[in-house]
Amino acid sequence: MNISVRHISKVYSNPDGSSLRVLKDVNCEISQGEVISIIGPSGTGKSTFLRMLNGLETPSGGEILVDGENILSKGYSLSRLRKRMGMVFQSFNLFGDMTVLENVIFAPCRLLKMDVETAKAEGMALLRKVGMAEKASVFPSTLSGGQKQRVAIARCLAMKPEAVLFDEPTSALDPTMVGEVLSVIRQLARDTGMTMIIVTHEMEFAREVSTRVFFMNEGLIYEDGTPEQIFKNPVHSATKAFVQRIQKLKFDITSPDFDFYGMQSEMSQFCIKYNVPEKRDVLTHITEEMTQVVLKDFLPLHVVLSYNAQQSETAVAFMMEGRTSSPLAEEGIDDISMMMVRAMSKEIIEESTSRGFRIKVIV
Amino acid sequence: MFLRTKILFLFSLLLAVACSGGPAQKRVIGCEEDISGLKVGVVTGSCYDMDLSARGDVEVLRFNTEADQANAIVNGLVDVGVHDEVVFAPDHLKEMGLKVAFKGKESYPAAFGFRKSEKELLSAYNEFFAQATASGVVDSLRAVWLDCDGQYPDPLHVYPNNEPGEPIVVGTAGAVAPVSFRIEQDWFGIESELMYLFGEYLGRPIVFKSLATASIMMSLQTGDIDIMMGCVFVTEERLQRFDFSTPYHYYHCSYFVRDDDAGRSSTSLWQKFKDGINQNLIVEGRWRFITDGLWETIKITLLSILLGSILGIGLCFMSGSKRRWIKQTASLYKAFMERMPMLVLLLIMFYVVFGGAGIGASSIAVIAFGLNFAASAGGVFRTALDSVPRGQTEAGLALGFTRFQTFSGIVLPQAVKKGLPLYTGQCVSLLKGTSIVGYIAIHDLTRASDIIRSRTFDALLPLLVVTVLYFLLAWIIAWLLKLIFKKTCRV
Repeated sequence: MNISVRHISKVYSNPDGSSLRVLKDVNCEISQGEVISIIGPSGTGKSTFLRMLNGLETPSGGEILVDGENILSKGYSLSRLRKRMGMVFQSFNLFGDMTVLENVIFAPCRLLKMDVETAKAEGMALLRKVGMAEKASVFPSTLSGGQKQRVAIARCLAMKPEAVLFDEPTSALDPTMVGEVLSVIRQLARDTGMTMIIVTHEMEFAREVSTRVFFMNEGLIYEDGTPEQIFKNPVHSATKAFVQRIQKLKFDITSPDFDFYGMQSEMSQFCIKYNVPEKRDVLTHITEEMTQVVLKDFLPLHVVLSYNAQQSETAVAFMMEGRTSSPLAEEGIDDISMMMVRAMSKEIIEESTSRGFRIKVIV
Repeated sequence: MFLRTKILFLFSLLLAVACSGGPAQKRVIGCEEDISGLKVGVVTGSCYDMDLSARGDVEVLRFNTEADQANAIVNGLVDVGVHDEVVFAPDHLKEMGLKVAFKGKESYPAAFGFRKSEKELLSAYNEFFAQATASGVVDSLRAVWLDCDGQYPDPLHVYPNNEPGEPIVVGTAGAVAPVSFRIEQDWFGIESELMYLFGEYLGRPIVFKSLATASIMMSLQTGDIDIMMGCVFVTEERLQRFDFSTPYHYYHCSYFVRDDDAGRSSTSLWQKFKDGINQNLIVEGRWRFITDGLWETIKITLLSILLGSILGIGLCFMSGSKRRWIKQTASLYKAFMERMPMLVLLLIMFYVVFGGAGIGASSIAVIAFGLNFAASAGGVFRTALDSVPRGQTEAGLALGFTRFQTFSGIVLPQAVKKGLPLYTGQCVSLLKGTSIVGYIAIHDLTRASDIIRSRTFDALLPLLVVTVLYFLLAWIIAWLLKLIFKKTCRV
């Protein structure tokens, strides 16, 4: 199954007249057998985009071609497409009034006109494959989240689809259950030649399993490349910030009347939130010395606190717009304070950027 | 300690008040002046109702049937009851523990009521009556029914009712011997016989219709009936709205009180019960009132459920519509139906909307109950559908089912499972609600018990039988619904 997406956009209009552009201009080509992971921050239209591929969501503009046919054209049978393209949902959506096995055989019996005995045999085989054969006759309400999702995968596979869409299959699960579901999907990707498109927040999984990764941001496919490229050498800084899971906290100090105590308390909270409370005292101390003593004559000052989860690196940067040379070399700089900062930090990087001069203190 | 005394004092005070209240005082009642300050029971809409209300020095309590009135006297709810002298046969009175305190001085002319536009029918009747009086027929009827102290001839004379002409519909409020009463399909009593003879005279069949006293005048006005009877007295007020025939009799009224001397019968409880069954169900084939009423109740309930459910499905889709005005129309309808008392809706349908349109009362009842049921059924359907998560639809669609297949194969079975108990509840409350159709002259289960009670003056047994039947019906409805949906909604 070859999918070709051209200039897809989606605008939601609210009753009050305002509108929200979820997707701006999405283009991509997906060929048979590819395993594609879609990653990106929340609210950037990943799920919306995925749901458009099987027509659960209708784009506001653009076209989607499946094997050369526009699925948005009038008279195109979406139900026929969906028989060939399965979907696994974040919230499982198992049929609550059917047992596990009934869930699996319901669609093949009704839609593929498979006789019940064959369907049951095939259904049991699939359940065995996802490790759920033991629970064939129970109702979904008695299962754990991970078990439900494995049944949902079996249900989807029972239709023998050429492609499967995974819409955040592990986001609704307890951390302890994520693994069992991911290994089932991993196995599918390895053993079958199915086209798979997976929206996920599991970076490690995405890197391992996919042939290609889409990084979506602000309603666009920001970056499209091999896992190697996206996770090791991303082109865009947004991609880098996302894959390295960099968190930032910004302050703009424009006058000596700035609320330094407020800044201190926000920094403390940031450290606690990202689980680096041991860096809290050092960070606030360095920031205090730098902003109130060393750089007090170089306002306005942009302070950026950052935390890189991947490299577990915490840093605070001070940016002076429009400057090209280091202020540290100038006369009248408080040497004692600067010495204290150097003593407390791991590394100090001074660099001239296009915006101005930046001093980055890594702790 | 002090508190306890206080409570004790309060309690004994309450007890004293409770004991002194009620119609416990012994008073000799021998003339109209004696009832001043007492509680008096009358039948709603009877002329005693108006006369006594005008007196101002008595508290008037109104009852729907003679049987209710008699029971109220026996149970001490009222001190004295006022009704026509002929309404309770003497031996019957004793049986019930009632006695006549005194007869009223005034007498009231009883006659047949006609619509003002039916002058021809009226003059035909008056001509007939003059002839019948001259030939002594009227006198012989009086002798049979009124001057016999309750000893009616046995067997009763049955009139053939197969004249060829267009039927005359006669509404009767009383259904009371010896004025007009029913045994199986035939009507007896002085008024009924006069009407049969009048029908013979005109060469037209007579059809009797049993109506509640409160609604008989309305029915005459709307053309639902042609003649009204049932011990209707000619009053000034009524003459302004209707024409009345020559009175056939002047009735005195009687003041009934509880007969405290009536010996308590020593029969066992079981014997009493057996007598009650015999009196209320076996004698004169009275069980047939019950079976007829039962059938009518079943018919109206089932048809209303059918009509209401079909309309309810429409309403359910309207309330799920994306268009605002459709949605609002549905919710307006629902609000209107929920706030409208069912009886009011029924009466409006009967007298105003379909008044004189020639549609049968049962059909009107089905329409009224159906319209009302649509609102509640529609609400139940909507709630049931909304209770199925949106994800179920998406899962169905994503597997390749069409919208319709998804709805019928996945959403609907789950919705039915959730909505069935609610729906069953609504059906049962509709069944119970149909007990008011007696107001528009439909002989249903409740009305059947009224008719039997007006003959036997037994409050308990007919009501007990009817209660049991309603219970069984409700149970059968619930069982049927379960069966139907079990059969239709599974993989």
